Amino acid sequence: MKNPFTKRIDYTALEDKELVALAKADKAAFGALYERYLGKIYSYVYNRTGNAHDAEDLTAKVFFRALAHIGNYVDRGLPFQAWLYRIAHNLVANWHRDQGRRKIIALDDYVGQASTSEAPDRLAEEREERNQLLEAARRLPEDRQQLLLLKFVEGMSNAEIGAIMGRTEGAVKSLYHRTLLALRDEMKAAWPGDGARRRGGEEG
Amino acid sequence: MAETAESQMRDFLDDLTARLRSGDDMHPAPAPVEAGQDDVEELTEIIQALHSTLRPRAAPEDFAERLRADLLDGEPGVVQRLRQMPARVHIAAVLAVFAGCGLLMLRRVFGSGAAQDVPEEAVATPL
Repeated sequence: MKNPFTKRIDYTALEDKELVALAKADKAAFGALYERYLGKIYSYVYNRTGNAHDAEDLTAKVFFRALAHIGNYVDRGLPFQAWLYRIAHNLVANWHRDQGRRKIIALDDYVGQASTSEAPDRLAEEREERNQLLEAARRLPEDRQQLLLLKFVEGMSNAEIGAIMGRTEGAVKSLYHRTLLALRDEMKAAWPGDGARRRGGEEG
Repeated sequence: MAETAESQMRDFLDDLTARLRSGDDMHPAPAPVEAGQDDVEELTEIIQALHSTLRPRAAPEDFAERLRADLLDGEPGVVQRLRQMPARVHIAAVLAVFAGCGLLMLRRVFGSGAAQDVPEEAVATPL
């Protein structure tokens, strides 16, 4: 029987720090953290694995591991989500090592999703451009793919990305610059003259 | 000088990305003076393409509910239960393990010597 004098806690109003402290002994508090971060972690893992089945499997492992170790969690000034993303990153890295697969950014689910034009020929062109971009992104080293996902998919700031990747803000900015240059070079190497063709097309 | 140009370009690209993500792409940051026009155009195109292509992916609802139930309603595992025990139980368990190991070592050193020294003939059954 529930004690009517027990005060109900509104977990959604609490900050991560307070929730983490409560979650060490209270599963409901962990549930609030789960609700807060499930979408982000799933999205991140999905983009790193490229398929829903493995994304679900690994996301479940992330949260089970977090639940098992939250009692040992020590607040060192980093945001709680950095800890979760690091668990996810390690699990995904192990998954890639075990599977011997290429790191895949899920292609089919993205292509055409964000199209702004309704004309069929323009749609096809946009689709082709996205294909090219994603194929070039797949060839980037793992840390650069991670940076792009955290920046564009998760919408994180350089400071947040730095906390997850163990780099300073300046180093993140620098890595982003190098990543963009590498992407451009990849696309130029794979489709030489494409940029000029497109610019020429726009002008003419 | 080259370092300054690179640093300006880095800041410009970072600022451009932040503006795009926040929906404020109507007032683009001024391009760095020393950067080539082609560089600025190409990298801006790539940022815009990344912004419109890479999108968040929502977790399926049934998966989210199932995992929530498994995490929060499921019975805690052995490790989880051990973790939740009071500190004095942990201390007692560690002391018991040490005592057990000590006992085993003592038996090995002092207790089993006699058994090993018994000659084979003495234990063999006569035909």
